[in-house]
Amino acid sequence: MSGAKILVVDDELIVRESLGGWLERDGHKVEKAASGEEALEKCQNTRYDILLLDIKMEGMSGLEVLKKVKETDPDVSVVMITAYGSIPSAIEAMKSGAYEYLLKPFDPDELMVLIEKIMKHQADRRETLFLREQYKERTRFESMIGQSRALQEVFDLIERIAPTDSTVLIKGETGTGKGLAARAIHTKSRRSQGPFVVVNCGAFPEHLLESELFGYQKGAFTDAKTTKKGRLELAHGGTLLLDEIGEISMRMQIDLLRVLEDRVFYRVGGTQPIEADFRIIAATNKDLEKAIKEGTFREDLYYRLNVICFTMPPLREHKEDIPLLAEYFLHRFAQETNKPVDQISREALDEMMLYDWPGNVRELGNAMERAVVVGRGRRILPQDLPIFRPGSVSTPPGRTLREVEIAHLNSILNETQWNISRSAEILGIDRSTLYDKIKRYDLQKPA
Amino acid sequence: MGSKDHTLLISPIGELDGNGELLDQLRMEIHNVFGYETRLLSLLEEKDLPADPIRKQVHSTPILETLALLAPPEALKILAITRVDLFIPVLTHVYGEAQLGGKACILSTYRFWEKRSSTPESFRCRMLKEAIHELGHTFGLRHCRDAGCVMHYCRSVSEVDRKSSQFCRYCAVLLQDEMKRMG
Repeated sequence: MSGAKILVVDDELIVRESLGGWLERDGHKVEKAASGEEALEKCQNTRYDILLLDIKMEGMSGLEVLKKVKETDPDVSVVMITAYGSIPSAIEAMKSGAYEYLLKPFDPDELMVLIEKIMKHQADRRETLFLREQYKERTRFESMIGQSRALQEVFDLIERIAPTDSTVLIKGETGTGKGLAARAIHTKSRRSQGPFVVVNCGAFPEHLLESELFGYQKGAFTDAKTTKKGRLELAHGGTLLLDEIGEISMRMQIDLLRVLEDRVFYRVGGTQPIEADFRIIAATNKDLEKAIKEGTFREDLYYRLNVICFTMPPLREHKEDIPLLAEYFLHRFAQETNKPVDQISREALDEMMLYDWPGNVRELGNAMERAVVVGRGRRILPQDLPIFRPGSVSTPPGRTLREVEIAHLNSILNETQWNISRSAEILGIDRSTLYDKIKRYDLQKPA
Repeated sequence: MGSKDHTLLISPIGELDGNGELLDQLRMEIHNVFGYETRLLSLLEEKDLPADPIRKQVHSTPILETLALLAPPEALKILAITRVDLFIPVLTHVYGEAQLGGKACILSTYRFWEKRSSTPESFRCRMLKEAIHELGHTFGLRHCRDAGCVMHYCRSVSEVDRKSSQFCRYCAVLLQDEMKRMG
């Protein structure tokens, strides 16, 4: 992740252009909206880290925009921009969930410090969520399960590549088990007694990712009170999983390339070269070849990572594993929640087989967890499952996969009143994936 | 590094602190850093920069657009230097502004004398570093976290004094990539 994704909302073109340009030079990705209405439309389709929002605009005011944006995306940080005369509105905005307000004209340093503070705050929050998710995966999905040919081929490949020390690139949609595959490679390798260290590259802004990976020397920057080892050092003797590798900045790509070539790196602010012995596994749900063509991913790094590459199949391509997986999740969650559920009805299983599981095995796990919790008897019934059910929404007969997906997305979004975080949770996919789908299918919130 | 078909232009606006020798030194140093033929060519006068009646400063963005239009065809990039104080709306001031990955950039020397211990030599170094910095933006480089790198954003002249006039190895690679891309 390089810089923040920022939406500048102001009805004055000159402010949008000049502030946008300044932020871009500072390494941020900037989009602009000329009105509150345009800002809301953009927020429906794209996830921003920060909104710089002018309070006083023609049409919808900044305050109204703030309230509506916070309803859909409570995680976005909104900074209100205000003139001296509008301070009471700015205070009202703070009460409505704005992160901060800036009085026009403001010192560029003030803006820079504020953006850094927001990015640090957001990175901490993402890391906490990531660790929580990791913990869940470790305790619930200890091993990969599947009898299908597609998964058996993956298992065979893992058996063969695990003993080598080659770099591995794992591709696949969200929720297909890329992290589990990486862990399996580690467990079956000569490094199994060493650490298995995971870095979610998408969770950190560039400079924090640099400190996380390489560590830092005491005094390297203002907050560096003590020397800290990075995850590269912590992975010594083991395996380092770089999750969401497609999200790293061009600058970090240069760094990683150097590490892959030399196996030597420096702590931030350090002058001593550090050698660490670890195997790198990278995972991504992005199309890296496309990113290379677009100039956002280095070709030389791609070929360094792509020594051994395989793709985790989406669940819709190995549906024959659904009964086995559902059974596994049923027993696991029944045990955890101490509920006497031990069967899945034929009808519920039929529905699971008909559904396409866009969130893959993770979504299936979430669906079974919910079914176990809300189910009333010993058997899981169709109504216990939070999945698309024929007849529950109106779709034309002979519908395509695309139509089914659109109908299901609409159904869940409407059920949660377009609460993106909640919908993504139910669907078992990332918020960014959900935003992508909303954009791709041009889904509209009902008026 | 750069191709001989392209030229970098340094365009002083009106009188500058220092003398003609200072600009010529800057021209040579810019040539050494980027490798392109570098020329001095004045395109605008100080009277062409309208000061904002309330702020008594000059809005830098429109100047960049004018410079990009006035630049001769062989000019790959153009760096204007002025002693007037620059701003962009909503910000109190800027030390300079550049079209990211574009043609024009501008640098103000107005705040280079802020430190009491400033000398002509420290002024020259500041001008060189910030000139490279703004030109770096026109080659698509963004601010760098490395406090020693010339692309580091400095919050004061003391920070400018502390950084070097060199690109860190990351920015150097990105600059080379961009130069290769431009041919």
